[in-house]
Amino acid sequence: MKDLKATVKSNERIAENIYSLTVTLPESAGEIHGGQFVNISTGDSSHLLRRPLGVAKVEGNDVTVCYQIKGSGTQNLATLSSGASVNILLPLGNGFNISGYKNVAVIGGGVGVFPLVATVREHCKNINFYTYVGFRNKSAVCLLDELEKSKTLTVVTDDGSYGKKGNAVEAFFADAANVKADAIIACGPPVMLKVLKTEMQKRNVKTPCLVSLEERMGCGLGACLVCVCKKHDGQNARVCKDGPVFDIDEVEL
Amino acid sequence: MAELQVEICGVKLKNPVIAASGTFGFGREYNEVYDISVLGGISTKGMTVEPRLGNPVPRIAEGKSVILNAVGLQNPSADYFIKNDLAFLKSKGIAIIANVAGKTLDDYGAICAKLDGLVDFVELNISCPNVKAGGMAFGIKPESIAEVTRVSKSSLKKTPLMVKLSPNVESIPLNAQAAQKGGADCISLINTLTGMAIDLEKRKPVIANNTGGVSGAGIKPVALRMVYEAAHSVDIPVIGMGGITSGTDALEFMLAGARAVQVGTANFTDVNAMPRIIAEMNAWLDSHGVKDINEIVNTLKLN
Ligand SMILES: Cc1cc2nc3c(=O)[nH]c(=O)nc-3n(C[C@H](O)[C@H](O)[C@H](O)COP(=O)(O)OP(=O)(O)OC[C@H]3O[C@@H](n4cnc5c(N)ncnc54)[C@H](O)[C@@H]3O)c2cc1C
Ligand SMILES: Cc1cc2nc3c(=O)[nH]c(=O)nc-3n(C[C@H](O)[C@H](O)[C@H](O)COP(=O)(O)O)c2cc1C
Ligand code: FES
Repeated sequence: MKDLKATVKSNERIAENIYSLTVTLPESAGEIHGGQFVNISTGDSSHLLRRPLGVAKVEGNDVTVCYQIKGSGTQNLATLSSGASVNILLPLGNGFNISGYKNVAVIGGGVGVFPLVATVREHCKNINFYTYVGFRNKSAVCLLDELEKSKTLTVVTDDGSYGKKGNAVEAFFADAANVKADAIIACGPPVMLKVLKTEMQKRNVKTPCLVSLEERMGCGLGACLVCVCKKHDGQNARVCKDGPVFDIDEVEL
Repeated sequence: MAELQVEICGVKLKNPVIAASGTFGFGREYNEVYDISVLGGISTKGMTVEPRLGNPVPRIAEGKSVILNAVGLQNPSADYFIKNDLAFLKSKGIAIIANVAGKTLDDYGAICAKLDGLVDFVELNISCPNVKAGGMAFGIKPESIAEVTRVSKSSLKKTPLMVKLSPNVESIPLNAQAAQKGGADCISLINTLTGMAIDLEKRKPVIANNTGGVSGAGIKPVALRMVYEAAHSVDIPVIGMGGITSGTDALEFMLAGARAVQVGTANFTDVNAMPRIIAEMNAWLDSHGVKDINEIVNTLKLN
C-alpha cells in the first residue's frame, strides 16, 4: 500500500455521467488485483475525504478507474485534465480471490461493473467468464470491449434500450441451466446483491459467491471503523480492509 | 534541526505530534504505510470495559473542510487491547495514550484500574457526542467532570490521567478547572462539535445516528480559542487538537498554550500527514531560529 502523487494521463467521458480516469503512478504500487480499490483525492482541498473507486484496469504504472458523477467529489474529479496531479492511496482491500476456479459467472450492475472489468482482464487467460452486466439504459452502457474477453457476455438494461430488458441477476438465472459456474462474483447496488442472495437461497444454489460491497469511508485502510458491514456471526467487518469482497454467506445484505 | 522533544507529566515524547483517538486505530494499519515510531505518541481508539459494536452505518459524512462521524465507540474492549495491541505499540517506543469511555462512574474506575501502569497516559473520553453511553453525560457540567475525574484518578496509582474536554459546553475555563480540581494530570481538547449533515433528496440526515461529531480543518479556529482558554485557566499541561493539517497549524496550538498536539482527520486526507507535520514544524522552527520547540509554548501575544 502506497500513497503516491500521480499524474492524470486521460480523463474521458465514456457514457452519460460516466468517466474513465487513467493516472500514471511515479513508481510501482506493487501488485494490484481486480476488486481492489484506490482512495483518490478529488482535486478540491475543501474535500477532506478521498473517494474510494474500484480499479478497472492496470497497465504498467498506469491505473484506470471509472466513476459515475454523483456529488461534488466526482464532479470535481471530472474537471481534471491531463497533467493534473492527484493523490492516490493504493492498492486497498482484498480483491476477488478466484484463482483455482475454471468457470466463473460475473454479475455486475451499474458502476459495479467497473471493478469487475479488472478481474476479467486479470484472469481471462485461465478462467472462462460468463458475464452478465446491467445498466440503466443505452446511454449508460460502457466498457463492453473490455468485457469481450469473457466466454459469453450478456448485456441488459432496465428499459430494454440496449440488449434485453431486465437486470443482471435475472439474466444470470435465465442462463443458469446452460452455464456450469464453479464460482460467482458480483458487484453492484445493494439491492442487486440482496436480490442475488435471496434468489440463490430460493433456488438452493450452493455455488461459492463473492460480492463486493460499498460503504462510506474515512481512512480507507482499516483504522477508523467508519465503513463497517454486519456479519452473520454478529461481528462487524471493515469494508475497506476485510473487504470490499466478502463471501455472500458471510455478510448481511 | 530544532529540539522537538517535549515532556508532559514526566513522560518524554520525542516530538509533540500525537495521533488523535479514533482516527488511527491501534496504529497497525498506518504502520503499513510508514513506521509509526516517528510519532510522538498515539491515542488509541476509545475503549470500554466490554466490547462494543457501535452505531449503524453510514457513520461518516462530509461538509466543506469538515467531516462528521458517529462511529459510536466500536471497540474490542480494553482487555483485548491489553492482550493483542499493547506489546506492538510498546515496541514502537512512542507515548501510548489509552482513550477510555464508560456508561457509569464504576465503568471509568474499572477501566482505569485495568490500564494502570500499562500505558503512558489514560485519556478520559467524557465527551463522545455520538453515544448516549459514551460519557457525554459526565462531560458537560463542572461538577460531574470533577467527579468522574476523581473516580478515575483513584484507580490510577501509576499512570497519569488526561481528561479530554468536549467543546459542546457552556464554559471551557470552568470545565478545565473542574478537571484539574478532580485530580487530572493534564487536559486534552477539543473533541468533536456536534453537527448534522442532510441529504436533501432523501430528506434525511446522512448519518444513521442523525447527528455526528464535526472535525477537520474547518474547526481549527474554534479549537484554537478553546485551547487558549483552557491553557490560561489551569496549571496542568494542555494537549491541543482540532483541525490541525500542517506544521504551522500545530505551532499555532502550541503558541496558544498547548504542550503537544493531536492530529485526527488530517490522517484521512493524507495518510502521511503526521510525519509531514513533524517535518514542517522542524522547518519553521529552523527558519525562525528557534532552537527548542518548548520555547514557543504559551508565547501568544494578545493584541
Ligand atoms: C470499495 C468501493 C469501490 C467503489 N468503486 C466505484 C467505482 O469503481 N466507480 C464508481 O463510480 N463508484 C464507485 N464507488 C462509489 C464511489 O465511492 C462514490 O460514488 C463516490 O465516493 C461519491 O463521491 P461524491 O463526492 O461524488 O459524492 P458525495 O455524495 O458528495 O460524497 C460525499 C461523501 O460520501 C461518500 N460516498 C457517497 N456515496 C458513496 C458510495 N456509494 N460509496 C462509498 N462512499 C460514498 C463519498 O466518498 C464522500 O466521502 C465505490 C465505493 C466503494 C466503497
Ligand atoms: C472517525 C473519528 C472517530 C473518533 N473517535 C474518537 C474516540 O473514540 N474517542 C475520542 O476521544 N475522540 C474520538 N474522535 C475525536 C478526535 O480524537 C478529535 O478529538 C477530533 O476529531 C478533532 O481533531 P481533528 O480535527 O484533528 O480530527 C474521533 C474522531 C473521528 C474523526
Ligand atoms: S474507512 Fe476507516 S476502517 Fe474502513
